[in-house]
Formats: sequence, structure tokens, C-alpha cells
Amino acid sequence: MIEKIKGSIANIEFKLNRIYFFVQDTRGNAKASIKYLYDMALTLKNDGHNVIMLYEKKEFTPVTSWLSGPYDEIPHQCLEGTNLAISPEDTLIIPEIFGFIMEQVKNLPCGKIVLCQAYDHMFETLTPGATWQQFGFMKCITTSELQKEHIQRTMKNVSVDVIEPVIADVFEKQQFPPKPIIGIFSREQREGLNVIKEFYVKYPQYRFFTFRDLRGMSQEEFANSIKECFLGVWVDPTSSFGTFPLECMKSGVPVVGKIPNLTPSWMTETNGVWIDNVIQLPDVIADICQTWLEDNLKPELYTEAAETASKFTDVEKFNTEVIEKINTFINKRKEAFEAQIAE
Amino acid sequence: MEKKLNLSVILPLKSAVVRDFDEYFDKCIKSLKVQKVPFNELLIVHTVEEQLVEKLKNYDFESLNVKLIRFEGEANYQSQINLGIENVSSEWVSFFEFDDEYANIWFDNVLKYTEIYPDVDAFLPIVVDVDSKDVFAGFTNEATFAANFTQEMGYLNNDTLLDYQNFQTAGMVVKKSKLDEIGPMKSSMKLTFVYEFLLRLTYFTARVMTIPKLGYKHTSMREGSIFWNYKNGENVMTESEVKFWISTAKKEYFFVDDRNIKYDAQSV
Repeated sequence: MIEKIKGSIANIEFKLNRIYFFVQDTRGNAKASIKYLYDMALTLKNDGHNVIMLYEKKEFTPVTSWLSGPYDEIPHQCLEGTNLAISPEDTLIIPEIFGFIMEQVKNLPCGKIVLCQAYDHMFETLTPGATWQQFGFMKCITTSELQKEHIQRTMKNVSVDVIEPVIADVFEKQQFPPKPIIGIFSREQREGLNVIKEFYVKYPQYRFFTFRDLRGMSQEEFANSIKECFLGVWVDPTSSFGTFPLECMKSGVPVVGKIPNLTPSWMTETNGVWIDNVIQLPDVIADICQTWLEDNLKPELYTEAAETASKFTDVEKFNTEVIEKINTFINKRKEAFEAQIAE
Repeated sequence: MEKKLNLSVILPLKSAVVRDFDEYFDKCIKSLKVQKVPFNELLIVHTVEEQLVEKLKNYDFESLNVKLIRFEGEANYQSQINLGIENVSSEWVSFFEFDDEYANIWFDNVLKYTEIYPDVDAFLPIVVDVDSKDVFAGFTNEATFAANFTQEMGYLNNDTLLDYQNFQTAGMVVKKSKLDEIGPMKSSMKLTFVYEFLLRLTYFTARVMTIPKLGYKHTSMREGSIFWNYKNGENVMTESEVKFWISTAKKEYFFVDDRNIKYDAQSV
């Protein structure tokens, strides 16, 4: 037994312990939350960790179909039909949506972390009354302080760390002037469609403005599309971080959006046009269209927005935080192993 | 150094004896004075009408560089524009009308776009059409941005024009060299002389782009205006004449010269 524990300690010291990321199949559709997860995994891999991406079914579309970068260099493993080798020194990182997986792995002796990017998914697949703690998940990583507070109010004994995402370099200002195109991003497609249809009915004179649905594009396509737009529209009431508006801001595109249930900490009165009720959106968009046609949009919508976005571009900071937080978690496991030997 | 748009604005004037002339004229000149970037010159091509000459002689154009060009003979819009073009000393030319106004952002935008798109030969503004009571009636030139309307968003080409006529040249800024290449506005053409001109411009491979900004305000169907006269004046056009001029525009744009087209009701 002691030899096994010593083996675990040695594996940690030599970074031979595995860090498994459980990943959802995006089926080729871009998802900011999956990019965040892969960015974490890549950072750890580049730091010498033994990282493995776990996916559920054999039919799996690699993220490289929409995400450019060396993400395919991270080893992947399918759960279906294989026996997962998990040792006590290993770490399993599972997104909040996979509550049912947490339940399935509750008896595994490894370290467990919940990656919670969307608070509204926390309970989606948990049975009523179930908590992460019950399944041995005592650590959580999330994307904002506000979401951390929310999680701590709900999962009371879980320790929560915040690692803010970074907005990719691919989002940059266009050298050509924007066109009368409005990029729209909504959690549910119907929410976006309702806004578009109402807008055209109420403001037929603006039919020459084109709405572009920015969901489901590769990151590069998405970045190129948003650059052409003069306005980004954001309808995502359950957003917990707000990647889309920040990507717009970094691309030099002003944003109008509904304030989500959890107001992002980066949101100010001047870095975008933020409204309380989605029903106001067509009127607000029409106002912005007219103002843009007259070259009269407030300069702050560009300058303040660029300043806000610039706070989320520090890749080094992100990498450091990921490494530091995961290392701290693993080292605590190691200390626990050492304590067992001492006993 | 302050940037300047190398542009000549041509303003044809036929008569000062029209309703609300002073009010319209003041506004049109003011719209030039308040431009965010300066431009070369304003060429006013005027008839010899006494009241008009007197008005222009005494008008305070302030710092605008104004050249008054007398048009002798029987004036019409196209002939006056053509005389203006002959006197242009700038790289770019814009056609103006006394009952219209440039938006104060227009020349600034043109300057930006000429720097970013050096291959473009003509820039169209989105025109705000108003009626004689200044009530919004609609936009013109905006259709180049409508979904699936043109092959290249924002650009107007010959194929698109053949299907859809609602574009106008007032407020447009076009390269003088391109005007020299495609020939003058055709003074024998009625009703569709603007349409024919744009068809010819695009046929001779000009790159024509709409700048997505409200650059120009146009008063539609002002009493006494050219198009008002076609509809309500002494020489009201019949339906068959309207058809004639539309089909003529589509035939004439291949020719650089004005072939002195005349409508003959019996030949239609």
C-alpha cells in the first residue's frame, strides 16, 4: 500500500500523473466554453503535464474543425468501449453540465474538479438534492467572481477558484470600414430570430441592414465575420462571462445587449449599450442604425470597449493562473499522500 | 497639415424665381460651409437670368472657393453639369442641386474611403429623400447593401442597374478622369438621363460603391423641379413616353456621345 502511495507521489513529482478533461462533442460548432477548456488543457500540456481529453462516444468531431491552434496535439481518449485507467494521483476535470458523470465517477479515488462556466447548467443533470460534494468534487474552477459567489452560495463546501478566459488574438480590428451588417449572437436561435423579424417589421426603411447569425461558425470565420459588422447584438440572459461581447469589443465593434442575470463585472455604463428587457432590442438597434448612418455613435462605445477588452487579452496571466491553480490542487493531493505515509 | 478633399462641386442653377429659392439656396450653401473637411471649389453654373445673376453676385459664400460660370443659351440640367465638368480642376467631381443638402460628414467620409479604396471610381451617398415639407420619404442608393442584391456588397454594377433603377447621382463623388472616359451627361435624354449615365458609368467598368452613411438630403418632387414637371408640369409625360425613355436608357448607355435622341410618339 505504501509502495503504491509512494508511486503516486513519484508520478506527481515527475508529472506522470494524468489530468483528464471531460469534453463535450461540439459536433463542429464553435463554443466559447469548449475553447476555454481546451486552452486550459493546452496550457497544462505545454507545462509538461500529462493531459488527456476524454470524450463520450466514438463519433466525435475534433475541435480543430472550428478552432485553429495546436489543440489536436493533446491526446484524446474515448470512454466508449475502453477501460479508463485512473490512479489516485490523477485528476478528473468535468464541466458542470455533466452532473450524471460526476455521479458515475464518485467512487474513483482520483482528484476531482468541476469546471463551471455556466451556472444555469449546474443542476441540469444532477438529481434533485444532489450536490457536487456528494460525488467527491470539492474544488471548482469558474470564470468570474460573480459566478464564484453564486456557486459558493449553492455548493457551500466547495472551494472555488476564478480563472478568467482570454479573448483570442484572432479578434482584431478590421482595416476596412464596417458594412451595414449586424452580428447577432443568442443562446437560443429563436430569441435572435424574433429580434430580427420584429426589427424588419417595425423599421422597413432599414431593410438594407443585414443580420448575420454568428453561432456555429469556426473561430476564424467568426472573427472575420464580426469584423465586417458595425454592431454586435448579444442576447444571452444566462451568460456567466460574456465572451461574445468582449470578442466584439476587441474587434472594434460596438455591442448592444441584454444584461444577463449575472451582470458581468466588466460591464460599464459606457462600454456598450446595455438594456434590461429584450423587448427593447429592435427599437434600440434601430436607434443605433440611424446614429451610425449619421456618424454619430459615441466615441466611448469604441474607446471604452477597446479598453475593457484589453483586460482580457493577457495569455500569460491566463497560463500562469491555470498552472498555479492546478499545481496547487495536485500538490495538496501529494501532501495528503505524504501524510498517509507518515501515519 | 489639414487634409483637403481634391473635389469640385458642380451646382447648376437655372432660375432664382422659383418658390422658396432663397431658403433652399441658403441651406444648400450652408451644407458646404459646414463640411468637416475642406474641398477645392464650388462651380456654380448659372443661366443669365437677371435675378439669379444679381443674387449670386451679392451672396456671401464666406470662405468657400466659388467660381461662377455663365451658361449661355437654353439651359437644362445636363448641359449645365457638362459645362461645369469642362471647368473642373480637381481629381474628383460631385453633382449638387440647389434644393438639396450635403450631410456635414459626407466629404469627410469620401476622403476616408478614397484613401482606403483607391480602385473605386465613384462613391454614392445613402440619400435621404424628403418631400417638399421636409418629411422623410425613404432612402436611395442603399440597396447595394441589401442581402443578395448585388454580387459584391456595397458595389453597384451594370447587371444590378439593369434590374433596378432607383439610384441617383446627386451627391455622388466621381473621378474626373472617369467622366472624361465615359463622356458627358446626355442633354437630349429626358427622365432617365441619370439612369443612362449610371448604366454607362458601370458599363465602362467604373467601380461604383455606396458609402453606408447618410451623405445627402434630396428634396423629391419639389414643385417646379425637373421630375415634378415630368409628372405635373406643362409637358406631362405619357406612360408610353416614360417607357420609351427607360428603354432608351438601356440602349444608349453603350454610346459615349449624345446621339440626340428624340421621343416620337408615333414611332413607339
